[in-house]
Amino acid sequence: MKKIEAIVKPFKLDEVKNALTKIGVQGMTVTEVKGFGRQKGHTEVYRGAEYAIDFIPKIKIDLIVSDELVPQVIETIERAARTGKIGDGKIFLSPVEEVIRIRTGERGKDAV
Amino acid sequence: MRNRIARGLLPHSSPREFLRQHSDMMDGLVRKAFQSARAKVPSPSVCLMAIGGYGRAELAPYSDIDLLLLYSPSNKNELSPLAEQILYPLWDLGLDVSCSSRSIDECLKMARSDVQVKTGLIDGRYLDGEYEFFRNLYGLLTKKVLHRRVQKFAGALARDIHPRRQKYEDPAYVLEPNIKEGEGGLRDFQVGRWIIRAKYKTDRWDFILFPDHSRMLDKSIQFLWAIRNHLHLLSERRQDDLTFELQEKIAPLLGFPNGTKGVEEMMRQYHLSAREISNFFHDNLDRALFEPSTFRKIIFFFQRKRIDENFEMAHGELHLLDPVAFKKDPSQLMTLFQHGQAYQAKTDFRTEEAVMEALPFIDDRFRASQKVNQAFLSILRREKGADALLMKMHQLGFLSRYIPEFSDVEGKVHYDLYHVHPVDIHSILAVQELGRLRDGYYQKDYPLLTSLIREIEKPDILFLTTLLHDIGKGREGDHALIGAEMAKQVGERMGLTVEEKELMEFLISRHLFMLETAFRRDLHDEQAILRFANETGTPGRLKMLYLLTFADIKAVGPEAWTSWKNSLLMELFLKTSHFFEKGEEPQTFPRRGETLAQLHQSLPQDTLNHYAEHLPDRYLSTYSPEEISLHIKMAQSLGKEVLLVGWSREEEVRARVTICTKDRYGLFSKIAGSMFLNRLNILEAQIHTWGNGIALDTFHVEDPTGEIERRLQQFKKDLKEILSGKISLKLLLSQREESGWIQKKVIPKVPGEAKVNNRDSDFYTIIEITGEDRLGVLYEITQALTDCGCDIHFARISTLGNRVVDVFYVQDEWGEKIVEREKVNHLKQLLLNRLTPL
Repeated sequence: MKKIEAIVKPFKLDEVKNALTKIGVQGMTVTEVKGFGRQKGHTEVYRGAEYAIDFIPKIKIDLIVSDELVPQVIETIERAARTGKIGDGKIFLSPVEEVIRIRTGERGKDAV
Repeated sequence: MRNRIARGLLPHSSPREFLRQHSDMMDGLVRKAFQSARAKVPSPSVCLMAIGGYGRAELAPYSDIDLLLLYSPSNKNELSPLAEQILYPLWDLGLDVSCSSRSIDECLKMARSDVQVKTGLIDGRYLDGEYEFFRNLYGLLTKKVLHRRVQKFAGALARDIHPRRQKYEDPAYVLEPNIKEGEGGLRDFQVGRWIIRAKYKTDRWDFILFPDHSRMLDKSIQFLWAIRNHLHLLSERRQDDLTFELQEKIAPLLGFPNGTKGVEEMMRQYHLSAREISNFFHDNLDRALFEPSTFRKIIFFFQRKRIDENFEMAHGELHLLDPVAFKKDPSQLMTLFQHGQAYQAKTDFRTEEAVMEALPFIDDRFRASQKVNQAFLSILRREKGADALLMKMHQLGFLSRYIPEFSDVEGKVHYDLYHVHPVDIHSILAVQELGRLRDGYYQKDYPLLTSLIREIEKPDILFLTTLLHDIGKGREGDHALIGAEMAKQVGERMGLTVEEKELMEFLISRHLFMLETAFRRDLHDEQAILRFANETGTPGRLKMLYLLTFADIKAVGPEAWTSWKNSLLMELFLKTSHFFEKGEEPQTFPRRGETLAQLHQSLPQDTLNHYAEHLPDRYLSTYSPEEISLHIKMAQSLGKEVLLVGWSREEEVRARVTICTKDRYGLFSKIAGSMFLNRLNILEAQIHTWGNGIALDTFHVEDPTGEIERRLQQFKKDLKEILSGKISLKLLLSQREESGWIQKKVIPKVPGEAKVNNRDSDFYTIIEITGEDRLGVLYEITQALTDCGCDIHFARISTLGNRVVDVFYVQDEWGEKIVEREKVNHLKQLLLNRLTPL
């Protein structure tokens, strides 16, 4: 099992979510996050006063999928989230040791 | 056992009756246990009392049963065996019984120091044993404890309730309220009752209220009791949290329809009831807490101040002189609120009662009265306390009489997890957020919003709009549109100007628009911002929409407004207002809809649908519908061809050339280069990039030698080969240069200039170039831009005499503006070098 963590642009959330649902992904966790990478924050000026946008708003999507689904899921996110411009985001992939469904106590694949 | 008793009683009685009967039944059991205990163990003289809720004979199915054994100090030791003998059989029945034993002196001493003991005793009731003890205790309690230091008592009650309340302030508890401890719960009612008992020396709380008011309060209490009884019976324990699961089960039991609708209706009634109780609680608590001392009363006596023929300030509160003044002239109601704002004073208890009494006199004539409406709007306009006054108007029931549309959303809840508050409370909280913003409460966190609310022209309309923004909720259809229509009628009645009504209609019908744009659109796409600006229309509307959006989200619940949402909305606001400020007003672009409608006449629907969303406004405004439909037809055949070139001759030596191909890096410079190669002089050019990556460029070219047709053919051939990579433009040009050029005649020199402007667009770096015209200069310039990594999105090339004036909108390879100082300087230098021929 793998954990896929994707940082995408906020307005791409619906597209990514729909694309993932289409390929059969059952659940995900979505978080509003802020940060910066190569795309730095900037300052906006309004009537002479400066307003800093230091951290850029992004969406973080977490999902746990079985190994064989990983390539398809990653490709789907890549395709849906890409605008070709700076700040399109990143995808992180990491191994997951165990998954437990709290209600039933199921473990492993069944609990995903 | 308990359940059996309770279930037997339930169907036949009102909630109050049920509690009393349940308590009576419990009395029987407890007395029996007491008597048989006395028979078993040597019995000292004692008195058995019921205290707390049981003492009030209000015993819910699984409530605690609190007993007190009152003894004379001489026989203290014999008490424990007796208490045990009473408790054991009751415990065996599964009852939650607790029993304390105290002497009269101990009771009085503890009542003075411990507010919970005191309130337990207030509700005490004689059950069995020595009646004399009971009488003594109550005589002393009343004389020495209860009616003394009412203010301190109220303070202790407030402190006691505070920590419990904090837990229930969590929004989760608004959705799944605690019937007993929550805001407006049964405990609130009880506290109000204790204060009345202490202050007015009567247990009949209903006597000190006006009949209507006390009837309403009683109905609310009964409703909460009914819910609580069912809660206990369904969960078979002392369960006071009204969870989602139990809401669904209880609603049908109380006669509401099955399903979500019934739950929403029940919760609406719950919220209305809780509000009633909460008002009762706060009124009594405030009055007891802030009761002026005798000394201050004397001072206040001399400070009595007559305001007008109906009102005076007395004891620091607003007071109505003639109790029937409101009935004689209902418009005095609004005058009262105006005074409240002007003097920043609360209204006294009697006057508030008089307001509630006078509510039926608020009729259509009142609602249409210019005097009343002007007064209302002036309250909204004033700097201080408009939000607090609206809250008060709402509490007293005034607001929903005055604006009947508002009463439909009272207590209206959404059966979901996001909307914490019922619609009416949400709306008033939203107004409150605006009030806070205006008072500078958010100066540090949201300086921009704070400065905006202070500069808008019609704060009264913004406040009114915010109050009404959700009145369309709960009706079939789009609540924003319905609400806008309803608000228009309210505006009509209040005598707003046409402009004001339109503003209100716009804001309400689009109150989700900014939020949707900020969260769902690419704010780095100029097109998205442009469309938003276009629909918003004016800077004034933009500001108000931004403020309304803030207030709306902030009032949803404490966690709804995040710094994340703040950033996105602020960015949208700033970018949009830059559009307005630069005078690059969206109105200068013709209506997109109109152009598209005209296109519809010449193109099939599918084709248009396929392309329409990709056509930028700037492009649409540049060309006529005929030209655009021609361009779309060209784009359609791009699949087969790499490049499409069409031209029309205008004069002997001039032609208009249209080029359509897939956009690629450096395209413009390749086109300019190919033209240069074929000695075509570019007089004008427009280059556009569609959203789907198609480049659509038009050129106005000249060939003084009169061979334009042949040259264009050759140009088309060359460009095609260059674009498909068969041949290198550089190579062709170098061959050409070897052949030397024809020297032009000498004309006045034009100094070269290159300006890099990052101020006027949030999306592109704008480069303006002027210089002397010569064959191939455009190629030199665009090649320089391409060499520096600039992607050209839009360009306008023109020639005035021998002077070229070129404007380029460029971004770097990442789609960002070019802002680094070094890069900008390098670019300028390079452009200047290329402008002057070596």
